[in-house]
Amino acid sequence: MKLLKMGVACAVALTALTSVAEAKQLKIGVTLYGLKAEFMQLWAAAVKTSPAVKNGMVEVTVFDGRYDPLVQQEQFATMISQKFDAIIFAPIDADAGATAVQMAHDAGIPVVGTNTRANSKLLASYVGSDDVLSGYLEAKAVLTKIGCKGNVVIIDGPIGISAQIQRSEGNKKALAECPNVKILEEKTANWSRAEAQALMENWLTRYPKQIDGVIGQNDEMALGAIEAIKSQGLKVSDFVIAGIDGITDALLAVKAGEMTSILQDARAQAMGSLDVAAKLADPSYKPQADIWAQYPEMPFSDGKLQNYSVPWTPVTADNVDRLLAFRSK
Amino acid sequence: MVNVDQSEDSAPTGIVRQNTAIWRVILKKYGIITAFIVLCAVLSVMSPYFLTTQNILNVLRQSSINGILAIGVSFVILTGGIDLSVGSVVALAGIIGASFATTSPVAGIAGAPYPAVLAILVGLVVGLCVGTVSGTVVARFKVPSFVVTLGMLSSVRGLTMLYTDGKPVPSLTPSFRWMGTSTVLGIPVPIFILLFVFAISWWVLTKTRYGRYIYAVGGNPRAASTSGINVRSIRRSVYMISGVTAGLAGLLLSARTGSGLTQAGISYELDAIAAVVIGGTSLSGGVGSVTGTLVGTLIIAVMNNGLDLLGVDSNYQQFIKGLMIVFAVLIDTSRQKEAE
Repeated sequence: MKLLKMGVACAVALTALTSVAEAKQLKIGVTLYGLKAEFMQLWAAAVKTSPAVKNGMVEVTVFDGRYDPLVQQEQFATMISQKFDAIIFAPIDADAGATAVQMAHDAGIPVVGTNTRANSKLLASYVGSDDVLSGYLEAKAVLTKIGCKGNVVIIDGPIGISAQIQRSEGNKKALAECPNVKILEEKTANWSRAEAQALMENWLTRYPKQIDGVIGQNDEMALGAIEAIKSQGLKVSDFVIAGIDGITDALLAVKAGEMTSILQDARAQAMGSLDVAAKLADPSYKPQADIWAQYPEMPFSDGKLQNYSVPWTPVTADNVDRLLAFRSK
Repeated sequence: MVNVDQSEDSAPTGIVRQNTAIWRVILKKYGIITAFIVLCAVLSVMSPYFLTTQNILNVLRQSSINGILAIGVSFVILTGGIDLSVGSVVALAGIIGASFATTSPVAGIAGAPYPAVLAILVGLVVGLCVGTVSGTVVARFKVPSFVVTLGMLSSVRGLTMLYTDGKPVPSLTPSFRWMGTSTVLGIPVPIFILLFVFAISWWVLTKTRYGRYIYAVGGNPRAASTSGINVRSIRRSVYMISGVTAGLAGLLLSARTGSGLTQAGISYELDAIAAVVIGGTSLSGGVGSVTGTLVGTLIIAVMNNGLDLLGVDSNYQQFIKGLMIVFAVLIDTSRQKEAE
């Protein structure tokens, strides 16, 4: 069904295009902070399947920032010297990212942020999801289920990166609304499932029968906590566990009733930022992704907005099958 | 130490030297075990949860993957080489093995799930292949192992990403996950696997001719060569061993986490090498034991576990581990100077 829709969309786009096929192909570069985790892989795969890329209007090149701000800066230099028309940027570090944005700005190339925001006023636009909100939503989901009382543990992302800082802020905001809930421990597991598993095993030893809720700042770590609980012979149903991102394994765990996840829509971020970047590079460009119809609360507005907030989708038993079906394509 | 001082007071000088020498030998030989016992003693006083059966089993299970990796890397380091590729092999073997044992119709290879035994075999063969490539380049073309395995670290990680387009391989069959999640006689299976790998390695290194050759090649390759040892084939073989153990560790990690993950095993080589070095194996080869490696692994695991139990900031864990590595190498260097 979806395929059919996309096929039709492509066909329509192609016919519309034949007249302007001779027009200059836009060259858009993307540098993502790193391609090791599933979320960024989904993002990169999605941007390459954007309608504008498929019909040849835009040529997109994705660079792997390898979790290193300097690598990303060099990729900016490359894109500037090769005269890219626009750059899409998910920096590993918000402040180091500002330097790169400045470089592109000086060369007259618009930069659209996505997923993680560079700390720069020169960013032409930003298409991403509000991490403070996701931190709030996941903590709220846990706190509501444990009845706003009891003990929780928080598994942080890598300390100091913007997603961790903002998700922590959101976690704390929700926790402040439940003053009777005690935070037993808060520690990083660096987004890693294996690390979170060991950490949770140790906490279960340290706080036998005391932990009611687990707030994992991403799905990987929440899944690690679930494995730890299982490995100790405890029942996952005695814990309320939440994560963020909506990776495939987490969707499966939601389906099994083991956790809650908040889906971050990689596809919408990718296709949305591509449309905005193309519009900035060529004022005659028309947005082509179906995501603008999918999220009426996020209108395209001629690509003029400073901020496009891609909504979070709480994953529930009701929508998980649909989301999984979409993923397996 | 106190005992040494006493003997100095009461004995003639010649014997004193001998006595101190004996004490130094004991300290160097058993220093790491002493350090381990002291660490455990301190932690059991500081945390009431440390010496519980459940926690001890946790620590052993948590050390199983690094332990298996470190034992394999010990073989390489004993010959004077290094293997930096093991963390990436963990990911590649883990994910390819997983793709044979998944019930997911999209993530697996055609016809999956296959029996767990086949998935495990495939994972081990993947490790063996990577090890064979590294070993051959090191042994045959005399390229420094640091460079070869550094290259493999990157290439093998790239292969892992290519294999699944960066996606994880979820929904592994219960029979495959058995080795990571089950217990036998109340003891988690990963611990048995670690002990099994340890026992075989200990036997090979201490009781077989091949084991003695490994030490000989590491201690003095020229002498080993003139005494008729095929240095090249010994060198190649240790990377194959390290590849297989890394493959096993990767399969175990997939079984434990329930998914083949592309980002699995990142920087695991560093923990493995740390365990080997802390365990007293010399980076210049020829000296060391897998027993030391096992204790080194346990020290790292106990420290991580203890600091979690005490609620200490995780940044301290990295800091302390670093100090321990430097300290262990310091002891090794002083030992080498003495030998000269």
